[in-house]
Amino acid sequence: MARDFKDLINDVKEIVTQSARQASVEIMNGLAEAGPGYSGQFSSAWYAVEPGQEPGGPRSAGGSIYKYDLRNVPKARFRSGTYYEIVNGASYAAQALDLEEGVFRTQYDDNGNILDPVKDPTNVGSRFGDKRGQVTSGTGFAVSTAPLDWYVTYTSGGAMQKDLGNGVRIGFRQGPRGGNVAGRGFG
Amino acid sequence: MNYQAIRAAVEGPMLAAFGSLSPAIPVYFDNITATPPNSTTEYVRINVTFGITNEPTLTSSLDNARGAIVIRIFTEKGRGPARNQQLLTTAVNVLETLNDSPKTDTGVYFKVGQINGPSFSATENTPHFVGRIDTSYIATVLS
Repeated sequence: MARDFKDLINDVKEIVTQSARQASVEIMNGLAEAGPGYSGQFSSAWYAVEPGQEPGGPRSAGGSIYKYDLRNVPKARFRSGTYYEIVNGASYAAQALDLEEGVFRTQYDDNGNILDPVKDPTNVGSRFGDKRGQVTSGTGFAVSTAPLDWYVTYTSGGAMQKDLGNGVRIGFRQGPRGGNVAGRGFG
Repeated sequence: MNYQAIRAAVEGPMLAAFGSLSPAIPVYFDNITATPPNSTTEYVRINVTFGITNEPTLTSSLDNARGAIVIRIFTEKGRGPARNQQLLTTAVNVLETLNDSPKTDTGVYFKVGQINGPSFSATENTPHFVGRIDTSYIATVLS
């Protein structure tokens, strides 16, 4: 039986919203994987927010790289489209993104032992600048768990576009006329 | 794939442009520690990163790479942004020239995306004022 045109519009809106949410999940997971992870807190501070809204802080105390799912993306209202901004709410985000210089300290556990980073370091040694990723092999205890300029590489080097595409594909499949349910579709 | 040719396609013209200024401005690339003659010497740092290689495209050529270029200009702190912006203009001109270069049969065909910035920063414990721009690129190795 033919469906009302109004139903089709509502389905399209839901597909767009679902795709935007799923793309946000894929991108946040991509950022968490590509970015630094010493304690793991920074990886848990990515937020998909509607324009104008503020992100929260880190969601976890660390221990591992945070894994995002749809529960981390609020369902936005469709207003001629669905829009999310992906931002990091950590107070030191600008330093972690290699956009600003900072002061970096060795991290210790409660017993005074040096903490192992949750991600394998990309560089360990001495520091040659005040940016997070400016660590090179040599004498020293500086640790970098993501290459310098990882954020620009992720956003400009194609990885973000790939995650976006994956998210949209997943969102479409999960939408009201997606291929996950037999008999659905635009045909 | 020839990563070195891609890197050279951007590093070569940058080195030539800053080297032809009077006085010549030292340029430091990836994996070279910047060692300017003194703490207030102007210098340029250029980082070329690689993102995705051989991404399927609409053409038959798969010999392409995407990535990012980050350019940081270091000038003396406390003297205003003019000199820094002057050197940033040199870098942007090189990127625009790369973008305007026609596709040939050999070498590397290089296109940059939108240029983000410049953004400026200066911290207390360093003697430099830093201007920064970054852009994406797509490079195709033609031979």
